[in-house]
Amino acid sequence: MQFLGLFQTIIRRQLATAAKSAGPKLTDVLIVGGGPAGLTLATAIKTSPILSGFKTTLVDSQNLTDRVAKFYDNPPEEFTNRVVSLTPKSKKFLTETLGVPLMNDRIQSYDGLYVIDGMTDARMALDQDGMLDMIEILNIQSSLLHRLNHLNLNEGSFEIKEEVKVTSIESSTKGDPTSWPIVTLSNGEQYKTRLLVGADGFNSPVKKFSGITTRGWPYDTFGMVATLKLNPLSPFAKLRGWQRFLKTGPIAHLPLPGDNATLVWSTKGNELSQLLIQLDPKVFSSLVNAAFILDDADLDYYYKILGENPNDSVTNESVIDDITQRINQVWDSLKNDSLIDERYPPQVIDIVDKTRARFPLKLSHADIYCSDRIALVGDAAHTTHPLAGQGLNMGQHDVEELTRALEKGTLRGLDIGSMLCLEPFWGECYPFNNVRLGMADKLHKIYGTNFTPVVQLRSLGLQLTDSLGPVKNLLINTLTAGSSK
Amino acid sequence: MNKLIVQKQLLDKPFYQFLGRRARSFVRFKSTAASPDEIKHFQELAPTWWDTNGSQRILHKMNLARLDFIRNTLNKTVRIKDPNTFIPGYNYKEFLPESVSHSIENDLNEGLSKELTKRQYNVLDIGCGGGILSESMARQPFVKQVLGIDLTPECISVAKLHARLDPKLEGKVEYDEIALEDLKQKDYDIITCFEMLEHVDKPGDILEQAWKRLKPNGLLFVSTINRNPISWFTTIFMGETVLKIVPPGTHHLSKYIDASEIEEWFEKKHPRDHKVLSLKGTMYIPTQGWVEHDCTKIGNYFMAVKKLH
Repeated sequence: MQFLGLFQTIIRRQLATAAKSAGPKLTDVLIVGGGPAGLTLATAIKTSPILSGFKTTLVDSQNLTDRVAKFYDNPPEEFTNRVVSLTPKSKKFLTETLGVPLMNDRIQSYDGLYVIDGMTDARMALDQDGMLDMIEILNIQSSLLHRLNHLNLNEGSFEIKEEVKVTSIESSTKGDPTSWPIVTLSNGEQYKTRLLVGADGFNSPVKKFSGITTRGWPYDTFGMVATLKLNPLSPFAKLRGWQRFLKTGPIAHLPLPGDNATLVWSTKGNELSQLLIQLDPKVFSSLVNAAFILDDADLDYYYKILGENPNDSVTNESVIDDITQRINQVWDSLKNDSLIDERYPPQVIDIVDKTRARFPLKLSHADIYCSDRIALVGDAAHTTHPLAGQGLNMGQHDVEELTRALEKGTLRGLDIGSMLCLEPFWGECYPFNNVRLGMADKLHKIYGTNFTPVVQLRSLGLQLTDSLGPVKNLLINTLTAGSSK
Repeated sequence: MNKLIVQKQLLDKPFYQFLGRRARSFVRFKSTAASPDEIKHFQELAPTWWDTNGSQRILHKMNLARLDFIRNTLNKTVRIKDPNTFIPGYNYKEFLPESVSHSIENDLNEGLSKELTKRQYNVLDIGCGGGILSESMARQPFVKQVLGIDLTPECISVAKLHARLDPKLEGKVEYDEIALEDLKQKDYDIITCFEMLEHVDKPGDILEQAWKRLKPNGLLFVSTINRNPISWFTTIFMGETVLKIVPPGTHHLSKYIDASEIEEWFEKKHPRDHKVLSLKGTMYIPTQGWVEHDCTKIGNYFMAVKKLH
């Protein structure tokens, strides 16, 4: 009997060791998502003297090393369409704290925002030198990959798992949320991780697993982007972003290097954005010019006849002619020609082929950004209307604060997956983001109506803000994340 | 059959010895032991020890301040030897641009961490409870090993179970249910007595026993609560009765010890071989956690004493 017992123990022990070697790989931080937020976090961990010892794994469904990283060494001639504004604070974090060498020749810094109410012509000019930078998302991603690559980390320290998706996440001890989560990938590999970071966008599988609830609403609005080609700029033209609130939603025209600019045009409902995306590029370019200069009534008329005669060359020609004529009328009515450059953005002559794309807009904000072993950053925690240009910057702020919380927790000997370590990150980020999400949401609502009292009030508000220096500075401060002086 | 009996006898021998030691410990008065009431109190707290949102949340929060205090104190004991690290002798934060002073500070912290890491301290945590401090110490790169001791068996088993959840703690932290005076090892670099002197009947004996087990140049960290009406108001009335953020029955005003009494004790018993390196008051502010301050006569305080010879 005893021998049998001994034998059984030996067998069991062998099985146990066998199971151990084939089990999930251990990692300290598993980041799901290789977008700007995920890659920034990976870089922040690996460049931090306090955190660099933590084994970090990044999972993405794209081919990052091939598709994204090559952008750094072989950038395309034209600008890509996914462009964001970077606040000085975010830029400082990327370039100074993390040492990321951004591709500076593809970044355009600009000195202010010019906001126009399309219904009343109320105006506001927010001016500050080097207020914001326009930068392609691929520039940020590929620069981060370049930085990570040059750290020469071995596989035991950092690895990227690309072209794989997360198929399932479960706690290693059922029912115990403080146990390390086991993440199964589509290639069959399993990771058991101390901290699981969801940088995986609005439909985040990590958020689903965590059970964190999200509040918000869809805007029934589509945002459309495109890369614009401009008339050669006059040497006196100001480098600024232009935003006009039309009845159908805001349209923004933001500078890129040379004769390029990027467009973000939000329109209510599905129909209009569908029409805009299918229009002939020349008509579309004219329509963008019209949207900054002509009245809502004119635009409605153009939408109507273009919608009734899709891709009809005669209609297209007549619309272009009509727009040109009406724009000239407006310009002629100005007191002097210098006002053209002061009040209206540079004229668009064409758009870069295949850069028009649209996406639905929504507000969402997670109730909390962390739970035991889980942290959410970027779009997984919040999505916003692009009208204030805050989306990416909020994600960068999340990463900065999460890194700070992890560093502080590590110095204090905490388990970096514990709530005690993660709480301060959420405490710092939630109010910061809530202000920005709320601001974009209110602006969207105030400018989404043509109810006369509201229109009058908002115009008054805009003009008052324009003439009240301190209020204007407060607004600039919020938009640039407090990095202005 | 014979074989079995022999085996049993072999097994029984150490078992009896063990029992014997146990029995003796009940007979002989042990000066470093906690009273049965105290042990019972912590028995009841053991199951929720690691629930950071549970009954011990405020202790978990305090642990953050303890680690800051320990690190700040240790930083004072090392010097950066790397000639490439330049630290200006003046108040550089005042005179240099933010980016420069920031990078100086980073260099300084990195340099200090490097020096500290070379030390590889042996740590003894007296009254470790569920192991909150022991684990945090074991994760520090400058700590070689931590032994946590406590007289509540339930706490020791909670601590052992919890340490097993983190593979990085393997081999770095151990726990033992043993009275301080029974501990054989006498060469610790760091001994900690955090929030425990107010739970024992003879704190002087604890200090004496701890002092004996400290290496020359070793550091003793002590924290407890000043005995005065304000401490009663904050820790017992507000903490336990009104806000209920401290488990009721945790504190007894009569057992509190003034910081000056500990200093006096060292002056009297070890006048020539001790130096108080640091003494800081600490208070809990609900929105900010535990904050250090310089008024050491009220409420909780942290103290670090260096053994000179």
